[in-house]
Amino acid sequence: MKAKRMLKLFAVLFAMTLTAAACGSGDSTSTTTSECGSDLAVAAGESVTDLSVALVAPSAKDDVAFTQSMVDSLTRLGIEPQITDGTFVVEEAAAAIRGYAEDGIDIIVAHGTQYGGSLAEIAPDFPETSFIWGTSADNQGIANVFAYYPEADQGGYVNGLIAASIAGADGIGVVGPVEAGDAVAYIEGFTLGAEAGGSSTSIVYTNSFSDVALATTTAEAHAANGVAVLTGTSQSAVGAVNVATANDLPWFGTQSNTEAWSSDLTVASQVYHWDVVLADMIEKIEGGTLGGEAMALTLENGGLVMEFNGCYDLDSSVKSDAEAAIADIIAGEIVTK
Amino acid sequence: MSQFFTVSVLVATLATAIKFAVPYLLAALGETIGQRSGVLNLGVDGTMLLGAFGGYYTVIQTGSHLQGILVGLGIGLAVGIVYAYVTVFLHAQQGISGIGIFLFGLGFSDLLFQELVGTPKPIRPLPTLDKLPGVGRIFEPLVDIDIVGPLLFDHNLMTYMAFLLVPATTWLLMKTTFGMNVRAVGENPQAADSLGVSVAKTRFIAILIGSSLAGIAGATLSLQLAIFQHNLTNGIGFIAVALVYFGAWRPRWVMAGALLYGLVTATRIRWQSLDIIPQGASDIAAMAPAIITILALVLLASRVRGPAALTRPFSRH
Amino acid sequence: MEHAPLLTMRNITKTFPGVLANDDVSFDVHAGEVHTLLGENGAGKSTLMKILFGLYQPDSGEIRLRGEVASITSPTSAIEQRVGMVHQHFMLVPTLTVAENVALGLPSNRGFRTDLDAVSERILEISEQYGLSVDPSIEIWKLSVGERQRVEIIKALYRDAELLVLDEPTAVLTPQEVDDLFIILRQMTANGTGIIFISHKLHEVLELSDRITVLRNGKVTGDTTPSETNRQQLAEMMVGREVKLAPDKPHVDLGLARLQLRDVSVKGDRGTMAVDGVSLDVHAGEIVGIAGVSGNGQRELAETIAGLRPAESGSSVTIDDADLTKAGPARTRAAGLAYVPEERMKDGAVGEFEVSENLLLINHGDPKFRRGPLFDFAKIREHCQRLVDQFSVKTPSLETPTSSLSGGNIQKLIMARELDSRPSVILAAQPTRGVDIGAAEYIHSELIEQRNVGVAILMISEDLDEVLGLADRIAVMFEGRIVTVIDREAATREALGLAMAGG
Repeated sequence: MKAKRMLKLFAVLFAMTLTAAACGSGDSTSTTTSECGSDLAVAAGESVTDLSVALVAPSAKDDVAFTQSMVDSLTRLGIEPQITDGTFVVEEAAAAIRGYAEDGIDIIVAHGTQYGGSLAEIAPDFPETSFIWGTSADNQGIANVFAYYPEADQGGYVNGLIAASIAGADGIGVVGPVEAGDAVAYIEGFTLGAEAGGSSTSIVYTNSFSDVALATTTAEAHAANGVAVLTGTSQSAVGAVNVATANDLPWFGTQSNTEAWSSDLTVASQVYHWDVVLADMIEKIEGGTLGGEAMALTLENGGLVMEFNGCYDLDSSVKSDAEAAIADIIAGEIVTK
Repeated sequence: MSQFFTVSVLVATLATAIKFAVPYLLAALGETIGQRSGVLNLGVDGTMLLGAFGGYYTVIQTGSHLQGILVGLGIGLAVGIVYAYVTVFLHAQQGISGIGIFLFGLGFSDLLFQELVGTPKPIRPLPTLDKLPGVGRIFEPLVDIDIVGPLLFDHNLMTYMAFLLVPATTWLLMKTTFGMNVRAVGENPQAADSLGVSVAKTRFIAILIGSSLAGIAGATLSLQLAIFQHNLTNGIGFIAVALVYFGAWRPRWVMAGALLYGLVTATRIRWQSLDIIPQGASDIAAMAPAIITILALVLLASRVRGPAALTRPFSRH
Repeated sequence: MEHAPLLTMRNITKTFPGVLANDDVSFDVHAGEVHTLLGENGAGKSTLMKILFGLYQPDSGEIRLRGEVASITSPTSAIEQRVGMVHQHFMLVPTLTVAENVALGLPSNRGFRTDLDAVSERILEISEQYGLSVDPSIEIWKLSVGERQRVEIIKALYRDAELLVLDEPTAVLTPQEVDDLFIILRQMTANGTGIIFISHKLHEVLELSDRITVLRNGKVTGDTTPSETNRQQLAEMMVGREVKLAPDKPHVDLGLARLQLRDVSVKGDRGTMAVDGVSLDVHAGEIVGIAGVSGNGQRELAETIAGLRPAESGSSVTIDDADLTKAGPARTRAAGLAYVPEERMKDGAVGEFEVSENLLLINHGDPKFRRGPLFDFAKIREHCQRLVDQFSVKTPSLETPTSSLSGGNIQKLIMARELDSRPSVILAAQPTRGVDIGAAEYIHSELIEQRNVGVAILMISEDLDEVLGLADRIAVMFEGRIVTVIDREAATREALGLAMAGG
């Protein structure tokens, strides 16, 4: 009883700290826990703008990963964008971006690092249009381009810390896609967290974002080596989640909530809430500033949210350790890269 | 590092290689038959994607793996009829027609997926031998035998089917009148025609067999991975076409090529997961399957000649 | 009543757009005889045989087999009616075995599975009966040309052919193989097979035939037997005018040695020594003929002289004292060599190219065909038209694809191109192989004319008549070496034949 009250008190304190730390970014929260068995569908929020918005993204809009996270974020802002998805080919994406600009769309979200080169050509031709591009920590110095990027190492650290408590000496298998961008940040943060928690990671990059067969084979290799936990990123990770399910291994997700794939084996997912930075950007755009800076998703500003799976029975002390770590990361006391 | 080259690591690597090779092998055997008849089909990957989606969707709807595989076969057959009609009867250029089939398969499988399924939804993967209802317990003790068990008895039915198809394909090509006709029309269609062998009919059937196997290969892939996704095959069909050249149009060498490709991939993944291959070398290791295949092609290409009439449409005058 | 002939073709007429290919042709074959169909390329022999084999349908006329009116609609129906054909270009699948080639298209005793043991057994029976020795289990690509032809004959006999058409069967054979073939054909006629023999080698026709029918421009121009005629008469029936079979050769004083070969050794495709220490001089104003059975290094020697195949160290090839041992084809040509290659469609001309393009193949860079950076097409037309007229190349137009010309006309086209460069040395390999009499006569007279004006000519030929008719000196090649060099006056057919066999 005492412990429970202490916990409640701690939680209240914790929430207050968060609110204080979030300074100005409104109602952001850095953790949520789903109700087991609930529908994960994202509810549409109240519309924040009357400007027209278009989205160009490399993978499918419902990939339970990178692209879907952006669609969900726009939905939360009450925006129903026009969408061109599946444009792995940069030339196709460039054509779509230019097409939307010519159609007079006000805000064009180019959701792929690889579109940067095209954007540098297109954006100056349409100075009245605002381009939102990521993930990138640099807006290429173009006045009508906003850039966004996740500090994916932060949630990676938290995931790694929790994973270490489950895996212990058995270690954790990591299924990486290509050694670049937020995948590397996530995996490096995860490794630091795992090591801080007294475990270790085995990392294999498949060198493909989309090769499900390779991701599956990689996860199987990890499982055969006796790891106790799996994690991974990119849309090919669905193969690894299947292996986790088949071998009854806990799974940690990133980018989007992967509960849909793994039911009760996903322990936690670091979910990108692009809407936090998007809301800021849209506000600036409506104020007449069409670009000019890069914004990061962090635990602090609520752009990164640790979503715990209510179906997974996580030890409460582990969860509170994780929450403490989140507070430390926000406070800058834990360095995740 | 303690696990460096232990027997269990090697056995696990080999077992992974065998499993990994299955979709490649099925598709490449089919392509071998088609190419032996003189028809190159670059649409294998597209046919596989359609078969993969068909198989996956069938399992979602019915829960039956067998039906999933049969649907894959049916889709392969249907695509084969289109491709055969275009290339054999309309004498269309084979290279570009195959690319057309590929693009159609890539786009249409994704469209169907978006419309009918939406979010990737895992299904039950193909059961291994010991998990087969009814007969599983016969194999269950075998799986636990050292080395032999994981190597030979821990696979799903499609793996055995793929490898049994190797001698079956050889038998079909070398020991049957149909196979003899296939080889003849792929080498010298004029000669076959002068003896009353129907070049069109022979090629038509060879393409249908090849395309059906591509459909089965696709369904096997999606059921093995228990998922479907945009461009699930990631070019397996194209590698299968390369393996036919690698294997010099002989089923057992095609099998060797598929196994080699699987082994190189499995070695890279397995050994990286054990830190036998250092993290820094992962880029180079990832290229290994492609490099080895290209090297083999270069070394073999100068020695072995393919079917003389490959890619050449046949008409009498 | 007399037995009906095995085959009667009566009043056959067949037209193609613009061409009357067969004009009221009548032709018959009795069991047990060799009936030769003689004529130049384009005379209508092939059309008539394609009608017989069901590949074409005649516009009018009828075909009777064994006295009954026959309808032959396809090769398969021809085979079913026991008509067999040995095509000039063999209809064999190189990667299949002899037995598989024979069994192709026939139902198997074992249904879906092949029954090659039974086929092989039957092949061996046929082999024994006709002396056609061949191993049923060997792949075709491992066989010599002569052996492949035997397989073609076995294919027909296996299908119980009673009437066998042989289209130019000797064109690709060595003299020894021709002798063997004739023995086999006589054995077949003795067993009652009727044979249609298509050829334009007159001495072979006279040797083998029971009857001879001559076609020219789609019409029958002669119907005779060997005892009633001779080579000269046959040639004139074919060509329709007087023909010189043995060209006149005026005496010419020998000049300096223009082509000099010293210890030339060359490796063949398989890495073995194909040419082994050949030394030979060819002087201005002479034709040196190299005789020999094919495959004794002639092809490799020719390619080396033309700069297409590297010689081993220690070899030396010079033209007019310019050392060309290591020169490529461009420098060799610049030094004055004209090359008429053995494989005219592979090495001599580009089949898909137009006639004019092939005529310009070696000198399209010449400034006289240019206006600024562009081709001067008027000049090119004029140049090509002159060559076509001068060498009487029969072509519908300068734009016709070369592959649709006859062998003789393609060869004339190549000769026209090569001789126009005013060479000092001509290397001619098998210049009239597969070429009809009219064209051969023309090519021979052209070579002699070049000799008369002081060109040195090295001619490689397997046709002894050609070597004896043209050469001033004859070198015999055997296993990569020149085994003897004889002056024409001292040479006899027998002595050469012996030397060609290594004796």
